[in-house]
Amino acid sequence: MKTMLALLKLEFQEHKGAFFKTPIIIGLVLAALAMLSYFTTDRFILDVSGGDNMQFAIGTLQQLGDDKINFGIDVFMLMTGSLYHLILFILVFFILLGSLYDDRKDGSILFYKSLPVSDTQTVISKLLTATLVAPAAFIIGIMISHLIMFIIISLILTFNGLNPFTILWTNISFIENWGAFIVGCMVQALWALPLYGWLLFASSIAKRRPFLLAVFAPLTVGFIWYWYNALVNLNLFKIGFFQTIGLLFAKATTPFATGLGQQNFESMDFDPTAHSSVEVINSMLKGLWQIELLYGVIFAALTTGLAVYIRRYRNTI
Amino acid sequence: MSAILSAHNLNKSYGKFQALKNININIERGRVVGLIGPNGAGKTTFLKAVLGLAPCDGDLNVLGIDPFKKRAELMKDICFIADVAVLPKWIQVSQLLDYTEQVHPNFNRQKAEQLIAKTKVSLTHKVKELSKGMVAQLHLAIVMAIDAQLLVLDEPTLGLDILFRKEFYDNLINDYFNNQRTIIITTHQVEEIEHILTDVVFIKEGEIVLNSDMETLTRDYFEVMVNQDNYEQAMALKPLAVKKVFGKHIMLFKSPSRDHVAALGEVQRPSVSDLFVAIMKEDNA
Repeated sequence: MKTMLALLKLEFQEHKGAFFKTPIIIGLVLAALAMLSYFTTDRFILDVSGGDNMQFAIGTLQQLGDDKINFGIDVFMLMTGSLYHLILFILVFFILLGSLYDDRKDGSILFYKSLPVSDTQTVISKLLTATLVAPAAFIIGIMISHLIMFIIISLILTFNGLNPFTILWTNISFIENWGAFIVGCMVQALWALPLYGWLLFASSIAKRRPFLLAVFAPLTVGFIWYWYNALVNLNLFKIGFFQTIGLLFAKATTPFATGLGQQNFESMDFDPTAHSSVEVINSMLKGLWQIELLYGVIFAALTTGLAVYIRRYRNTI
Repeated sequence: MSAILSAHNLNKSYGKFQALKNININIERGRVVGLIGPNGAGKTTFLKAVLGLAPCDGDLNVLGIDPFKKRAELMKDICFIADVAVLPKWIQVSQLLDYTEQVHPNFNRQKAEQLIAKTKVSLTHKVKELSKGMVAQLHLAIVMAIDAQLLVLDEPTLGLDILFRKEFYDNLINDYFNNQRTIIITTHQVEEIEHILTDVVFIKEGEIVLNSDMETLTRDYFEVMVNQDNYEQAMALKPLAVKKVFGKHIMLFKSPSRDHVAALGEVQRPSVSDLFVAIMKEDNA
């Protein structure tokens, strides 16, 4: 246990920059975009109508019911949450690709292996980093980002003579929306497990360029499968393999939609205006009963086991 | 005497290439063993097997443990530096100490910090900011702060300048080594370590061609500076090697006694590197 905590701490220290900077930078970029649109719009409106439109907008905002503002904020928070899930997946994707390859490339594996830490512990620590440590950092990151954005909006409201507390802060459902993101991270980790396992395997076995192996090996198999069916069975529509990969990626990148559908992409299109945060949480949790999740976990166990096995033999690239 | 390492009929092949051929060796506690051989002789393959980094055929027992099966357990009592500058580049020195302290039951952090304080390395440095020599010093400091029974060094000073190399081995022998510990070293700079060795093992094409303690070695091998007058007579005794320096022949003999060869000229102790060259050539002949 002590060793595992030390390993997780080490992983965290190695990727600290990516874990914290990424979500906060995205938050700042979103805030900057919001500010930019505010200032440009403001100036444009002033130029056109001498400021009347601004007063009109303020008036509208004041008359807008709390429930509508609340809805708007929910949509905003769920949308950013969904964006952060996607970015979290991309970040973890690349961290895992390098996780059992980079230390073989620079030789530091020889240092790691000189300590009383087993290969199983090492590989599991990488998987836990992907499924627990990175999401935890992103949860904190999205909270900070949201708060920064709300503070900026408050300043803009105050600047225009509106009370940010009555209009904004009392209408934010922190618990539901952040709750949806947190549950989303856990659901995402479960659905993404087979992909994470595959990435660990690719990282462990690759002699060079784990990315090519991780991405092109399954694509090649998919194409062979497709052409085999197309040419031998004369069936041009048998795309099962690609569909499986596509669904996996869809679920791993958009956990909010995992409970919505399982057989086709269209029903998995996440629309934050169509569901409340609580509905999204319920649907995600219900989605965990799909049998595909179990297949994914089994596949993840197999590939992770293989990654450990290979790690025992590979000390160089 | 208790063997800390014993290998019986150890074999390892990479495809058709046999890297280790029937290696049999016992290494006792409290020895400093130099494992010496040309490139590709199988030194690193043997050490990898000892460290549990690669499987091999035959019986291998290190501190009572099969290294490949239980590497993590073995590493509590073994340390190794397998190459120069293999510490992770991104890490800060203090983080490295934190990590080692948390995973290694026999690591003494205080001692490591004392050793580091003697160098130019600071705890706030990142490994990538250090020179190659400083990384080697840092690595040695960590290793010396681990209370291990066996230390394996595979070319630990390759590419470092002579000052670093000398200091490295001085620290090792003066501050680390004692009669409860065993050190196995491979290096190409044999002349720099031969004064600290208690045993030498020559390995060639996957086979051990010489395994001897230094006392036996100096008892059995002689280097004789032969005058021109005694040349024919000396050649009749079939020297292992002959080299000509300033008009005199320096010949290396394996001989049952010093008296045997003393009549031929001035006798001196051969260096391990000369002996190595001679034995490698002898086997070729």
